[in-house]
Amino acid sequence: MENMQATFNKGRAVQAAIPIKMTSRDVTVHYGQKQALNGITLDIPERQVTALIGPSGCGKSTYLRCLNRMNDTIDSAKVGGEIRLDGEDVYDSAIDVVELRARVGMVFQKPNPFPKSIYDNVAYGPKIHGLARNKDELDEIVHISLRKAGLYKEVHDRLDEPGTGLSGGQQQRLCIARAIAVSPEVILMDEPCSALDPIATATVEELIDELRENFTIVIVTHSMQQAARVSQLTAMFHLGDLAEVGPTEKMFSNPDDKRTQDYITGRFG
Amino acid sequence: MSTPTILLIVFAISLIGAVMAYRRASTLAAAQATQLHSRPVYHASYVACWATIPSLLLLAAWLITAPILISTDIRAKIPEETLAQSELTEGLAYGIVESLGSGLRVLPADERETVTDQTPVKDLSALLRKRGVPVASAGADWMVPLAVELNALQVISRWVMTIAVIVLAGFGAGWGYKKIAPRLRARNSVEGVVRGALIAASSIAILTTIGIVFSMLFETVDFFSRISPAEFFFGTVWEPRFSAAGSTGSAGSFGFIPLLAGTLYIGAVAMLIAVPIGLFAAIYMAEYAKNRSRSVVKPLLEVLAGIPTIVYGFFALVTVGPFLRDLSTEINGLVTGNYSSFIQAQSVLTAGLVMAIMLIPFVSSLSDDIITSVPRSLRDGSLGLGATRSETIKKVVLPAALPGIVSALLLTASRAIGETMIVVLAAGVAANLTLDPFQPMTTITVKIVAQLTGDLEFDSPQTLVAFALGMTLFVITLCLNIYALYIVRKYKEQYE
Repeated sequence: MENMQATFNKGRAVQAAIPIKMTSRDVTVHYGQKQALNGITLDIPERQVTALIGPSGCGKSTYLRCLNRMNDTIDSAKVGGEIRLDGEDVYDSAIDVVELRARVGMVFQKPNPFPKSIYDNVAYGPKIHGLARNKDELDEIVHISLRKAGLYKEVHDRLDEPGTGLSGGQQQRLCIARAIAVSPEVILMDEPCSALDPIATATVEELIDELRENFTIVIVTHSMQQAARVSQLTAMFHLGDLAEVGPTEKMFSNPDDKRTQDYITGRFG
Repeated sequence: MSTPTILLIVFAISLIGAVMAYRRASTLAAAQATQLHSRPVYHASYVACWATIPSLLLLAAWLITAPILISTDIRAKIPEETLAQSELTEGLAYGIVESLGSGLRVLPADERETVTDQTPVKDLSALLRKRGVPVASAGADWMVPLAVELNALQVISRWVMTIAVIVLAGFGAGWGYKKIAPRLRARNSVEGVVRGALIAASSIAILTTIGIVFSMLFETVDFFSRISPAEFFFGTVWEPRFSAAGSTGSAGSFGFIPLLAGTLYIGAVAMLIAVPIGLFAAIYMAEYAKNRSRSVVKPLLEVLAGIPTIVYGFFALVTVGPFLRDLSTEINGLVTGNYSSFIQAQSVLTAGLVMAIMLIPFVSSLSDDIITSVPRSLRDGSLGLGATRSETIKKVVLPAALPGIVSALLLTASRAIGETMIVVLAAGVAANLTLDPFQPMTTITVKIVAQLTGDLEFDSPQTLVAFALGMTLFVITLCLNIYALYIVRKYKEQYE
């Protein structure tokens, strides 16, 4: 109990000066009988990049998928605790999941462009949410999103070609553009660079850094360097617990928790 | 010695060879410092292959060529002038000689010796009949020596074959055994044999298809030499037997259009009903159903696919047809006051409806597999953008699954076009040309059956038309399948 309280305090009130976008209190997840998260309490600061690190199977992706209720699509998953977005309870029965996911967008580990043209990929979200009144507005949204995702220059002359024909890095940026197009407030990224080569990774990392101006970003990553490069806040997960959370700089130079220290120095993982 | 016995002996030889090879290889492995290239079991298989493959090939070749050679030899000795005198054809004469010859083999040895070249055919026939061998009555005395010779040739051929095959098996086993050595690449050789066997299996499938096509092609060409293709493909009246009775000159009407129309009409009605229902069932099962209900519903639907089509035919004949007729009577009565049915018990609608029931499990089962194979990441991507489940299905899952679904539907359409039993019982055999779905119509397959059953000569257009129909049907379904493949390829390129 004491330990839990300690984690509780760790998660909260970090960098009090920055406004908090999402809060989670004592979030638990069960997959059938198996408990995957044992009470995570974490505040996600607005317009910052929060990195979730930790060894495989520690629950960081599970936690990420709680934030926009993607775990709902898995039959056996049960979520407990409380997650709030701007003070609204995300798991409240009054909340519309579809609207929530429009506000909290997601980019997945493997680039998953739809089997449609580049244009239609980006236009997909605005179309289903009715964000554009006419073709011109839709065009504008698509172009702006592609620009923000740093992809416009590369694809502007072939918007009607299939999105699946792009290279891996371009596909991932297309997926980011697709997420941006519905103008979310938060973007969740689940190991967005793990399927990319170093050059594409660098491009996507730069992009994440730029996106911080407009969006709150939560990124799950396996790469310590990536967490160090792109994030301002780092949360270390271990075996379903939140081991430590703190400003990235401090986490990588002077971690409090022994597990964090071992993990970032590569002693286990 | 009979062929099964020979096979048995060959396998026995190969088994013995294999066991010996296994022992030898094991001993070698134990005795020598160097390691065996292949495990002993491969040496055993290697020897077994050497024992069986060449000998079996020889056996097959002999079984195919020997009768041909013997037959040409005997046929050459059939006296021309006797053939000219009687009404026998050469083929028939040889048939009688052959049956006399094979009859000889049935006789006990002492009776067989009494038969010489001079024995009159009457005596031999009597002898054979006593033993229960049926003999044609058209026999002539000159056939007896030929029969005796034929019998002798066959007996010799079989003995030589038996000895040759067994010797070859033994020699093969010995050869393989001799080659056993630590560095023998038996494993690679066995791999080659496996590969060869697989190639043989697949080429048999292809060759059979080619054979089927050719067997139809020659008859079809024959048919079109009697009836002009224009008359066949563009004729609107199907009455092949009507005018053929009596007048041999005119052959009747072989208009293909009513049959094609019936086939496509019934197929279209069936697809119109089966595709939406099957597809929606598939979408429910793949996207909405919980695992538990899926594990019940899917097998149930697949049971439906296992019902023989004739049973659907009963269902149509006994239940659906009368039901539709009575229903139409009631509707007509309520609307106009005139209680008469406007749907006939056998109609396009009945056949289409029942065929649709048959097709639903195909559509749903195939589509279900295709929809579930759409990667989960695509669904997640769409749901992650805030799309609802049905939006995701409509805009992402179905477009991605489309090529697969289209090819599944075309496959189903081929089945609908090829269906016979349901049509016979549900839509009748009358070759009408009508647009009214409440009237009976019939299909190509039904007419093929109709033309090939009964007492028909094989060189009349009435029979040959069945081959033309079959060929046309084959071409239609082939085109459908090729189109399906084309679509799948095209979309795959686009989506992968």
